[in-house]
Amino acid sequence: MRRTSILIGVLATALAVALPASGRETADPGVTSNSILIGGTTPLSGVASAYASVARGAEAYFKYVNARGGVNGRRIQYKYLDDGYNPSTTVQQTRQLVQQDRVFAIFNSLGTEHNLAIRNYLNSVRVPQIFAASGARTFGTGFRSYPWTIGYQPSYYGEAIIYGRWIQKNRRNARIAVIYQNDDYGKELLAGLRKGLGRMSNRVVATQGYEVTSTDVQSQVARLKASNANTFMVFGTPRYAIQSFIYANRLGWKPLMFVNSVSSASNIMEIASDAGHNPRVRGAISIQFLKDPTDSTRWVGDPGMRLYRQIMKRYLPRANANDVYHVYAMAAAQTFVEALRKAGRNPTRAGIMAQIAKLDSKNPFTIPGVRIKTGRLDRFPIEQVQLTRWSVNRRGDGRWVRFGPLQRTPG
Amino acid sequence: MRASNTLLLALRVLGVVAFVVAIAILPSFLSDFRASEFARVGIFFIALTGLNILTGYTGQISLGHGAFMAIGGYTSALLILGRPGLEASQLEAPDWLPVGDGMQDVWTIPIAAVVAGVFGFLVGVPALRLRGLYLALATFALAVSMPLVLREPETLTGGTNGLNLFGTTEDRLTGAIDNSVHIPVLDKDLTFNDWTYYLAWTVGLIGLALAWLILRGRPGRAFRAIRDSEVAAASSGVSLASYKTLAFAISAAYAGAAGALLTIVSTIVTPGSFPVFLSIQLLIGVVIAGLGSLVGLILGALFLYYLPVGIQELADVGSLPDGLQDAAKSPGMPSVIYGAVLIVVLFLLPRGAAGFLSKLSFPLTKRL
Amino acid sequence: MGELLQQVVIGLASGSIYGLLALALVLIHRATGVINFAQGEMAMFSTYIAWQLVQWGLPYWIAFAATLVISFAGGLAIQRVVIRPVESAPILTVVIVTLGLLLVFNGLATWLWSGEVRTFPPSRPFPTRTLDVGGVIINVQDIGIILVTFGLVAALWAFFRFTKIGLALRAAALYPDSSRLVGIRVGWMLGVGWGLAAALGAVSGMFTAAAFPPLEPTMMQAVLIYAFAAAVLGGIDSPGGAVLGGLMLGVFLNLVGTYADDLQDAGFPIDLEGLRLPVAFVFILALLLLRPQGLFGRAAARRV
Repeated sequence: MRRTSILIGVLATALAVALPASGRETADPGVTSNSILIGGTTPLSGVASAYASVARGAEAYFKYVNARGGVNGRRIQYKYLDDGYNPSTTVQQTRQLVQQDRVFAIFNSLGTEHNLAIRNYLNSVRVPQIFAASGARTFGTGFRSYPWTIGYQPSYYGEAIIYGRWIQKNRRNARIAVIYQNDDYGKELLAGLRKGLGRMSNRVVATQGYEVTSTDVQSQVARLKASNANTFMVFGTPRYAIQSFIYANRLGWKPLMFVNSVSSASNIMEIASDAGHNPRVRGAISIQFLKDPTDSTRWVGDPGMRLYRQIMKRYLPRANANDVYHVYAMAAAQTFVEALRKAGRNPTRAGIMAQIAKLDSKNPFTIPGVRIKTGRLDRFPIEQVQLTRWSVNRRGDGRWVRFGPLQRTPG
Repeated sequence: MRASNTLLLALRVLGVVAFVVAIAILPSFLSDFRASEFARVGIFFIALTGLNILTGYTGQISLGHGAFMAIGGYTSALLILGRPGLEASQLEAPDWLPVGDGMQDVWTIPIAAVVAGVFGFLVGVPALRLRGLYLALATFALAVSMPLVLREPETLTGGTNGLNLFGTTEDRLTGAIDNSVHIPVLDKDLTFNDWTYYLAWTVGLIGLALAWLILRGRPGRAFRAIRDSEVAAASSGVSLASYKTLAFAISAAYAGAAGALLTIVSTIVTPGSFPVFLSIQLLIGVVIAGLGSLVGLILGALFLYYLPVGIQELADVGSLPDGLQDAAKSPGMPSVIYGAVLIVVLFLLPRGAAGFLSKLSFPLTKRL
Repeated sequence: MGELLQQVVIGLASGSIYGLLALALVLIHRATGVINFAQGEMAMFSTYIAWQLVQWGLPYWIAFAATLVISFAGGLAIQRVVIRPVESAPILTVVIVTLGLLLVFNGLATWLWSGEVRTFPPSRPFPTRTLDVGGVIINVQDIGIILVTFGLVAALWAFFRFTKIGLALRAAALYPDSSRLVGIRVGWMLGVGWGLAAALGAVSGMFTAAAFPPLEPTMMQAVLIYAFAAAVLGGIDSPGGAVLGGLMLGVFLNLVGTYADDLQDAGFPIDLEGLRLPVAFVFILALLLLRPQGLFGRAAARRV
């Protein structure tokens, strides 16, 4: 009697172990009955570790979703590996995720070169490369050759076109100086600006590149000042954008300034304002598509930002909730969750790519009116942005004030 | 006396044979992916073997070996692509540059080694006048500058995005696309990971044999004489100039081969693949390895590859308390652990693994 | 001409920052014969300590002074705890230990204070005013930094020359065995050397955050590269040389940037603008080939 019951117990256990395995035949790797495993790479060490928030914010959002039952009964496990911002390491880590950890999809990996380095491989093995965290155009335009790859944010190129068009319409006397990061990122912005300026593109009177190995850009700003420009475009990363604002002021130059969205979070502008000593930030123009976590006045009662703060407090209590990269990350994670939900009870890699190619939804973390939308020939999930201007009140406190209509960033 | 010498030789031969056999059969015990990890260990092993000749045997510090790897890596990538491949990537080579029409990846490795070796020779000539920290700066400057310099001729090197080999060439990147490599001699098919593993370690073993030949002969004696005392070496007729530049060239050639292999296993090459930290890592590896023992070099290479990987795994260990696990994943913490482990290891092994091993079992692992 | 002068002025301002950190490198090298790769990250960490003290409500200059004391103690402790165990190991081992320290301090700062950019100091150590001299803008802050830098060089010189502890430090570094015989506590002297260098580094870090904002964990990495170059250019054992090396480097880098376009217009095939740093290195190496001991260093006699 006892022996048979043990035998039955063993059999039952064996069956229980075997069943999901046999049921898995139809499902793609990474999907089990109660979980789905996705992966990505991000720099947790080295010069770019500030971008780690892009992975950690998404992780926090997934934890929140899991705590509320997951997606179609499955918990999302998000495994992100440290690539130290080295593309060669990105390749190795991605292979680990695909070949060893057998992830369902690569999600939210960070960096332009880094995503380019794995794009061919992922497409050859038909693993989705979802929401590559880079504003390079090619992640939105290359879908014919790379159907398994898609980006998320508006392209740098499209963003700069909007600045160019605005100048063309509203600043006919512009003489434009540009400081840009001397790599693909900076150059795409510069190219977009020229495109948007159209006939006025000859008004770009001076450009200066800087290297990420530079300690400071004062020399570049001084050279741009010597061109007598009245409009100063800053296309860089936060450190050098802050310096551009501060040095322009120190050198007694008074142009109207533009700063690209990577470097225009409110906390960055506050540092650039030099504790209210720097008038150059007044009236500076940028674009916005995410809700700004540092803007305490605008989003007080907003449910999206309340949710954001709540998730940060619960799942990333030590992290800085004012870091806008966390907002970006949660926006991307939210869209992913939505696509996964629509992919149905038995999600497949092809299935989720099909959903991602026909997104049409709102997102609690983007500014009002923005729709996350893709289509057969449109692989830029976010492509609506609004111009915004840094306005400073009497007490010297500044904040972004959006103006004009929502605009489409041309791919 | 003689008998013990013979015994020693026999033991050493046995050790090397065991090493070769171990390399040959290791993949059967590993998952497919682990093989690709050991391929990268092999790449570090090659670079360390070369750096050991320069730093360990000749006493010349180099903080710039990542730059030589970059030279090898780009040489290999350009040759694999050739003019048609570059064109397919919307790039082009100037007419005077002999990039060819595309070459099978394996054959680019020796060429990459030679090109890097020539480059190392050119660096070695001015380095003759520099010693100690000044040489450290000169080579460090090389490491810092190389990514910037390689990025600059954008139409040739693809700028910051670099060159992509995966799928842009017919099938010159052996086995990358269909993940299968046919080995005619054995009539066997290998996966891409296994293939790169065998490729890296074959090059590694050839490099090891060459190093052994170089170091046991006249150059080896000259190198050691220079390290122990330049003045004494010079006064006993060793030409400092030729042997120091020779050491630079040889060790750069090893780095070049390692760089070519890194390009092949990564299927891409970008300036960011050869950061300053790579050069620093190699120096760390050589110090961890200690002077001139095969086991030391292997341990050094394993340390370089598996320390960061191990730190990552830490974050994944299920049994760890939540707080610890979260800490290991926090930005910055991987660096702290890496640095702390490095310091502790050097406390325990101030003369590297080789120093420790020679204390432990002096006769067996005496010298390479 | 005005533009050229402006670039020179800016170059001097940047150069003094490189020189300040180079000074700390020289100090450790003189005291212990090691190049401390962690110097920049230690300076960055000190700056974060100052930032934290100000956050807790201390006035800037008091936080500044407190940071110097904390950094001195920290430097001394590092030498005693981390460097001493490998003192008798090959010099390369010690260098690698400092690289380990670099990683630890960088990671620790990121972990404790996050990689976020911050403003520091909240109020300026020097007036933010600028002077306009015939169209060339000069920052009062930059003048202040240059003056402090030269003041520190003079103070160091006097310290090593006239004070008992300074002389003991030199003796301990040059002749440890004989020093021991005359009763100098060599081990502690090395520790004091590290402490002083750490305090100097703290000054350089806090000034860097003011001159090259913002404060962030990576802020000293590029500065370290330039400081290393400056120290070697000046002669690794000469404090005055280090500062002059820094100033020369700062000016030279800006001149390369300024004339890159003109050079290209004149038919030079390469755009040097993005290659300022490599060009500066080539220049330094050329100088080193002429003077392998650096511009102001003394050639060491070789021992057989």
